[in-house]
Amino acid sequence: MHLDDRLFSEKKFYLPLLAVVLILPWLPMGIAGPYVLRVATLTLVYMVLALGLNVVPGFTGLLDLGYVGFFGLGAYTAGLLTVQYQWSIWLVLPLAAINGALWGVLRGAPTLRLSDDYFAIVTFGFSELIILIIRNELWLTKGPMGVPGIARPDLFGRVLDQPWQTFYLILFLLLLVLWVVVRIRSSRLGRAWFAVREDEIAAECVGVNIANYKIISFALSAAIGALAGAFYARWFRFIHPDMFKFWESILILCLIVFGGMGSITGALLGALILIPLTEVLRIVLPTELSNARYLLFGLLIVCMMRWRPAGLLPVQKE
Amino acid sequence: MLTAILEHSSLFLQQLVNGITLGSIYALIAVGYTMVYGVIQLINFAHGEIYMLGAFISFSLLTGLFGVGLPFWLAVVVAVLACALAGVLLDIVAYRPLRRAPRLAALITAIGMSIFLQNLALLIWGAQIKSFPRNLIPAFFNEPALQFGDVLVSWLQVIILLTAICLMLALQLIVHYTRIGRAMRAIAQDKTAASLMGVNVDRVVSYTFALGSGLGGAAGILVALYYNAVYPTMGYFAGIKAFAAAVLGGIGSIPGAILGGGILGLAEVFGGGYISSSYSDGIAYAVMILVILVKPQGLFGRQLRDKA
Repeated sequence: MHLDDRLFSEKKFYLPLLAVVLILPWLPMGIAGPYVLRVATLTLVYMVLALGLNVVPGFTGLLDLGYVGFFGLGAYTAGLLTVQYQWSIWLVLPLAAINGALWGVLRGAPTLRLSDDYFAIVTFGFSELIILIIRNELWLTKGPMGVPGIARPDLFGRVLDQPWQTFYLILFLLLLVLWVVVRIRSSRLGRAWFAVREDEIAAECVGVNIANYKIISFALSAAIGALAGAFYARWFRFIHPDMFKFWESILILCLIVFGGMGSITGALLGALILIPLTEVLRIVLPTELSNARYLLFGLLIVCMMRWRPAGLLPVQKE
Repeated sequence: MLTAILEHSSLFLQQLVNGITLGSIYALIAVGYTMVYGVIQLINFAHGEIYMLGAFISFSLLTGLFGVGLPFWLAVVVAVLACALAGVLLDIVAYRPLRRAPRLAALITAIGMSIFLQNLALLIWGAQIKSFPRNLIPAFFNEPALQFGDVLVSWLQVIILLTAICLMLALQLIVHYTRIGRAMRAIAQDKTAASLMGVNVDRVVSYTFALGSGLGGAAGILVALYYNAVYPTMGYFAGIKAFAAAVLGGIGSIPGAILGGGILGLAEVFGGGYISSSYSDGIAYAVMILVILVKPQGLFGRQLRDKA
């Protein structure tokens, strides 16, 4: 039985896990307190991203090289709406997710009949175009100046200005996304996705409507990415086109490759290990080395594919 | 009125010259993508990094960064050979073990190698843009070779075009008239059948990588001289554009890659000059997406193989 099934069906795992995460902001961490909390929040953001990306390459077996496009799209949707209209985050989050889903469908619909590597190239080109538009349409996005001064998240009219409050907010979003993904995974929809992943032709022959199911997976994946972006914009309070470069897509891909493509626990574990590791490397290494820390990610991807292509927590093939 | 037209047409001609120069460089890189794809059906994402290495290695050899300062032409030849070797090593270390793995695994590995090499260059040479010292490159490069009215063609542009043409002709001769070229074409048609006929597949793939990477490295050197700039991320954009050129021409087809490179170079220069300079990078992406969606086999390509 895969860890995914065990973890999400046996309730005895829930409480201790949740307890650990809930008390995290209150653990005595001395001077590093706010910093640790910042890294923890970032890790949770990447966990959401990893869960979202996992839906397309992991569940339906199509390589998405442009996931950062949706992250950026969500961040800019939320950031601009907030700066322009001062809307509450609870209005902005769903709007960003819907906008993400919309573009996910628009991107996905024409690619339905493409083979693996051509799909990957289209996703890549699409996200580069999104970022290029963000960079160049100054009237809308302020381009390379970035969007500063985005309001903090809020709850019932009160501003969440403590780091632990934002931590709980992203934790809530993560649990929400996790719940959705876990439920879908074991539903008819999830089984259809796995069928497409394992053998598209066979799936079609037994009556799986491939086009519909693929489109749903694109929409869900994009919505989750945009949701994470929207939170990120409200949390970081500044967005800039350079934050959404191609390498971010690869970093997120690296998380799920490391954890095991298609595995939900793998995606979470990948982010849990690699994101704090990047932050530690940034501090520990001298500047020149830490600028080149993506070198490790490249090497990690290559080595994983060579020796453990199914990741740390491989999804069983039946 | 007449002067306005003349001025306009000389701008047009100048753009044409620049576009052809750029296009011939893209074509040199695109050929590397297309050859590798033709033989092992892999999009070699790290090809742009080989091109970047060509620029860096020639720069280092020239300025004596590795302890020896070589004369210009020797440095160029050594750098091209080094790139060919790097391509072969890349294949042996990263791709060969995955020959029987799912295609997605090889593709992901290629991306991993691309990041790895780019950051390796960052580590070795630093992020700063480097330029060739003027006194170390032949002085006539930037002098005008031809001049029609206001339109200038520098010697460097002439050399880039001539080099591209010569290399492409040599490549065509190798692919069509040598044993190894015949073996390459055989593998591209049917790998299993070729290996049953006694073709040593691994050896031929190595030759393919060597040829493609050598051409890519040569393109890197030419571009570094043309813009007088060498930096670790230079392979990224050039790689994407050349890949778009390969897709446009029909991936797997060498004449297609040459034509695609030419078209893309011209499109970029004219699009940048007449439509919007901030979107000149976007032209490559748009072309790439449109071709894949509308005519995935490109201008000259074969029908794509089905999902297997």
